[in-house]
Amino acid sequence: MGNRFHGATTMAATALAIGLTVGSAAAQCELKLGVIGVMSGPAAQWGLALRGAAELVAAEANAAGGLPVGSQKCKVSTVSIDSKYTAEGAAAAANNMVSQGIKLIIGPIGSPEMTGLKPIANRNNLLVMGNGYAKDAIGPQWPLVFHQGPGPSGWAAPIVEVAKAKFNMKKVVLIAPNDQGGTDIASVDAAAYKKHGIEAIEEYYQRGTTNFAPIITRALNAKPDAVDTASSPPGDAGIIIKQLRQAGFAGPIGRLGGPGTEEIARVAGGYEVLKNFYWYEPVYIDDKVRAIAESYKKLMNANPPENNLFFQWVSATRMVTKAVTKAGTVDDVKKIADALRSLPVEDENMGKGLWIGKEFFGINQELSFPFGIGLILDGKMQPVLRHEAATGK
Amino acid sequence: MEGFVNTALIGVSLGAQYALLALGFTLIFGILGVVNFAHGGFYVLGGYVAYACVQHLGVPYPIAVMVAALATAGLGYVFEYFLLEHLIDNHLATLMLTLGFYLVMATGILVVFGPESPEFRFPISGTLRSGGIYIPLENFVVLSVCLLTIVGVYLLMYFTDFGRALRALADDRPVAMAQGLRPGILFPAAFGLATGLAGLTGALVTPILSLAPHIGDSVLAISFITVILGGLGSIGGATAAAFIVGMVEAFSSVYLGGSKGALTLFTLVLVILVVRPSGLFGREVRGA
Repeated sequence: MGNRFHGATTMAATALAIGLTVGSAAAQCELKLGVIGVMSGPAAQWGLALRGAAELVAAEANAAGGLPVGSQKCKVSTVSIDSKYTAEGAAAAANNMVSQGIKLIIGPIGSPEMTGLKPIANRNNLLVMGNGYAKDAIGPQWPLVFHQGPGPSGWAAPIVEVAKAKFNMKKVVLIAPNDQGGTDIASVDAAAYKKHGIEAIEEYYQRGTTNFAPIITRALNAKPDAVDTASSPPGDAGIIIKQLRQAGFAGPIGRLGGPGTEEIARVAGGYEVLKNFYWYEPVYIDDKVRAIAESYKKLMNANPPENNLFFQWVSATRMVTKAVTKAGTVDDVKKIADALRSLPVEDENMGKGLWIGKEFFGINQELSFPFGIGLILDGKMQPVLRHEAATGK
Repeated sequence: MEGFVNTALIGVSLGAQYALLALGFTLIFGILGVVNFAHGGFYVLGGYVAYACVQHLGVPYPIAVMVAALATAGLGYVFEYFLLEHLIDNHLATLMLTLGFYLVMATGILVVFGPESPEFRFPISGTLRSGGIYIPLENFVVLSVCLLTIVGVYLLMYFTDFGRALRALADDRPVAMAQGLRPGILFPAAFGLATGLAGLTGALVTPILSLAPHIGDSVLAISFITVILGGLGSIGGATAAAFIVGMVEAFSSVYLGGSKGALTLFTLVLVILVVRPSGLFGREVRGA
């Protein structure tokens, strides 16, 4: 009896020890992705797209039995924090991530957030796959910071080329807010116009302006062939366009900035007011890209986020998880960053892309996939033109 | 010359809108002694009430504008009567209360209508042109309504017993009360009148510019600049300052550019406040 009891106890202890060991290995093999982005307020859609993308990539990996890392299959989870589209919000979120031992950050979205987050990332060796169109969004001084898609330095010139061929403009006035979110983009856009032999004049307004009639009068005094609303928020761009048409301006209008054509048309008064309009579409949507949305519905049992940036964030997050697999570690950030840099830019849905950024930012850490050029001609929406991945040259 | 006239027309249009906003803001300060941080919120609410009436209830736009003015006036009355009135002499408390109410309104609008600008169009379109001089028809209508309303407010304040009572309370509250005037009844009415003006402006202006939950911030800022320039509490000062601000904004933005235009406006306000700390038409000290 005593021996039998002793034997049972030994077996139970062994089983417990094995169980603890297995449990411990599983706990060690978990990849936590930190998601930092705006998830409240007027820009909440952008952050919800980012969060949805990271959650989908985690669900894809888990559905396949875990993310291969060395000889293990690791569970992927996400931790999301609202940065409220502010520098201090992003910095606080990054510090919170550090306290939780998270080393890989997906996001943030805007330039102010990137400005707040980058010093924290540098200090704590965080890998950041972020966005933001600022001129210093990435750079050699932030070797662990990557760009999930190109800024205007990547796509402005190809769009100008198409617009010039369509509208043959010789002079353009760019109208944008007079802060970094406006000037950094408009000045790069202006350089793209000049590169194509088009005279470009930059006009800036105080952010918060609601009536653009004076700025428009000033812009039209320059007698431009085209006006570009650059990175003006969609609501502002809509009023600018409406007031341009009221002032008698009949030329084409561009938007070499972020997405938002539907809202712009709504505020301006419809496609017929936009009349001739060209813009940057971050993602060229085809059946393969739409399949990501279907995958989201299946895996998450919910509708995917509405914003098209969702697709861009999916491809960027997948690149990060692929880098983890290639590096064979979830902890060694430098090794993961090296692996990421060496990966070919390729996504099963988005197609083949490029690493760019060396010419503009001094570092080749900007993902570039095929993108779209939107056109409205004579008040009619045209099919979005597919453009190969921007080279940034 | 055409450019100069166009710029002047823009200045007058801006001035009329600012005047309506500033009148409400300065009425509340002049009569109640309260700096109403919720003023921009009533402007936005007016826009959304008119939008909801037109889009969801099929109400004709002119009636929707009246409904918006009445709804914001009613809300202002209730807010003053039930909340503000009890703390009316505590300046810090009223400041926090109006700021908090603004945040509640802005968040409520965001939750109900969403963050994006809805499609809210002015029922009349087209542009009046004469050579190179132009004014959009909708701006002309709004300008006319604004000017008529400003005249109406003046008649109300200077030629009715109600207006005289409010001005008496603004001049010297203890003496006015000793004469039998009852702030408990008149203050909510004054507050409602002021918020109704903000709501009316929102209902008129948002269809020609844009409607979004966050636009109240800039409205509050321009109201502040205008009434400080005109003299806090001065009805005539607020009106004159509104047209000065409109003209300075228009001419400086057209001839100096957007950034320098804003700088010019703020510099002008700064210089005037250094020379005349109580504003162009303000009194040294409020009576109340």
